[in-house]
Amino acid sequence: MAARAEGAPAVKTRPPWVDLLAGQLLALAGAFAFAGAIGSIIIIAYGQDPLFIYSTVWAFGTSRPQDFALVLENATPLIFSGLAVAVAFKAGMFNIGVEGQYIVAMSAAAAAAVNLDSLPAIVLLPAVILAAVLAGMAWAAVPAVLKVKTGAHEVVTTIMMNGIAISFVAWLILNPLHSTGSQAADLRTDTFPKGALAPNLAQSLGLEDRIPDSVVHLTWLFPLSLIVCAGIWFLMFKTRLGYEVRALGSSSGSAEAGGISIGATQIKIFLISGALAGLVGLNHILGDTGYLGSNYEAGLGFAGIAVAFLGRNHPAGIPLAAILLGILLRGQDGLAIVTDLPTEILIILQGVLILSVVVAYELVNRALARRQQRAVGLIETPRKAEA
Amino acid sequence: MPLLDLGAAIALGFRYFTIIYLTGLGGLFSERSGIVNIGLEGMMIVGTVMGAWGAFEFGPIPGLLIGLGAGMLFSLVHAVATVTFRVDHIVSGVVINLVAIGLARFLSQLFFDQATQSDPGVPDLATISIPLLSSLPLGLGQAFKGMSPVVPVAFLLTIPVLFVLNRTRFGLRLKSAGENPEAARSLGVRVAPLRYAGVAISGGLSGFAGAFLAIEINGLFREGQTQGLGFIALAALILGNWSPLRLMIGSLLFGIAQAIPLRLNDAPVISLLPEEFIRMIPYVVTIIAIAGFVGRVTPPAAAGRAYEGSTT
Repeated sequence: MAARAEGAPAVKTRPPWVDLLAGQLLALAGAFAFAGAIGSIIIIAYGQDPLFIYSTVWAFGTSRPQDFALVLENATPLIFSGLAVAVAFKAGMFNIGVEGQYIVAMSAAAAAAVNLDSLPAIVLLPAVILAAVLAGMAWAAVPAVLKVKTGAHEVVTTIMMNGIAISFVAWLILNPLHSTGSQAADLRTDTFPKGALAPNLAQSLGLEDRIPDSVVHLTWLFPLSLIVCAGIWFLMFKTRLGYEVRALGSSSGSAEAGGISIGATQIKIFLISGALAGLVGLNHILGDTGYLGSNYEAGLGFAGIAVAFLGRNHPAGIPLAAILLGILLRGQDGLAIVTDLPTEILIILQGVLILSVVVAYELVNRALARRQQRAVGLIETPRKAEA
Repeated sequence: MPLLDLGAAIALGFRYFTIIYLTGLGGLFSERSGIVNIGLEGMMIVGTVMGAWGAFEFGPIPGLLIGLGAGMLFSLVHAVATVTFRVDHIVSGVVINLVAIGLARFLSQLFFDQATQSDPGVPDLATISIPLLSSLPLGLGQAFKGMSPVVPVAFLLTIPVLFVLNRTRFGLRLKSAGENPEAARSLGVRVAPLRYAGVAISGGLSGFAGAFLAIEINGLFREGQTQGLGFIALAALILGNWSPLRLMIGSLLFGIAQAIPLRLNDAPVISLLPEEFIRMIPYVVTIIAIAGFVGRVTPPAAAGRAYEGSTT
């Protein structure tokens, strides 16, 4: 997180936010350059031209409307999972459990979709989404309550809850949710009624000839994810809870001294995080497959951690980071077609990029802190930056 | 014949024990030095693909050692990020796990011409039978027959580990770096190299465990074959309160819990409980333990905390 430049007296000639912004941009540029260089080394070692590879990735994500729609489809779950990680992180907590929360939420959504099929679409879809949100919250409630009541660290408990979620949902798909109809041989639920599916965005906007819905499963969940981003921004910066969360995240001691109930705030924000996690898997089952199969899309929760850190845990940065990772995901299809370079290079590249972004911000924060201290004549070491 | 099945289940449990225990010991060295390591799973994954390749090329023992070396090399990413650049340990661990999946596919494509698995039939070590124990009556001897020689090695490793941690200068200093790095520094101990060493040992042992899984258990590299065993190792480490002996007991219990659904799902009592619920046991037990409902576990005091002077 950005080292706030308050408290620096007017010794300096530039206002602090200029340094801060310049520093952030510099860090981002440096991280991209470093990740690009590491990627180039691997690509050259493989006997390929890095510029050609990078331009292919870019072209496959952006050249036609349907390509960019695919990128946005990829980005939709990542925006939700990035937000889920970010809100908890703002309060100084780590929700590694988004993975388990969304897997359980998908099964709750599936249960609602299959069992409430008599409801009209206008009620059914909101009910399905609500079921997912509540399940995500319920799964997040366990680590939140245990943290506040017993001090159990949420990183450990959420990792364990992830393990439980995978087995639990496997059991659900095999037993109570197992398809009784024509798909009984497959490990999956019944097909959802049409009213439970998320409406296709291109279809609603009359763009199906340019963005065919057989290929692209971009739904109204994408605009919803942007609305949720705006909502989280409002929550974080315009409400009392948001203020308390940020106070807690920057210093729990001063937050407590300021009269904030730490435990209550932690539980509230963790439940919100779980609710956001509940939305992560919806595009997969309500926009793409139309059922929950045992080979569901996994790893979206962990990817959310990457998105949150790439997007600086900020509701405006997260959609951008999610779109960037969406381009890298889409780029894998491109690489598979035009080169024999293993497409996994892009997963490696993504990891390098995230680590370099985190390192770059850390270095810039340290440099800024040093400059501030020099400005005020302090000599002691800076307080540890959070990110 | 349930007892014969029990013997077979224990035999399989011993193999899972080996993976969980070795990886957990790795995590122990890392966390006792002050570096939280949730990237054990990723380090293990790199060990599976490199180990399978090494065994195909040079035989089982080189394969295991290549897995060890690869895990160690890969873990240096975590060390550089957390020790030198003071990146949050959890963030770095998550990235390690993400990258490992991509790296394993990349290497698999390179070595085996397919991204998600190798050919079966990785050469493995000749099995051994433990004298006396393997002649236990009622089929229980089954547990000690046809054993991979790595299994007893893993059990016996406890002795040197205890010696290193409690009796050597390196071990005592390593623990001081994880408990109170500032005090250690004031006594002239250099914290950063110790933490590098702790992480490197964790990578080496996890990579070795991954290679053992590919070579000695599955006989191939396959994507997803680690099945969260790295996280179960982490669970055993927490349950073991970061102490080698308790870690060994926890790993044994979790190892056998892993094997039960595969070997004993027809046994009377067990068949009442679905396989999926048996698989949850390690995680549930760990949550109960960390929440302090049964005993109290205490992580190393400075684990997860950057040491400001670590660059000096």
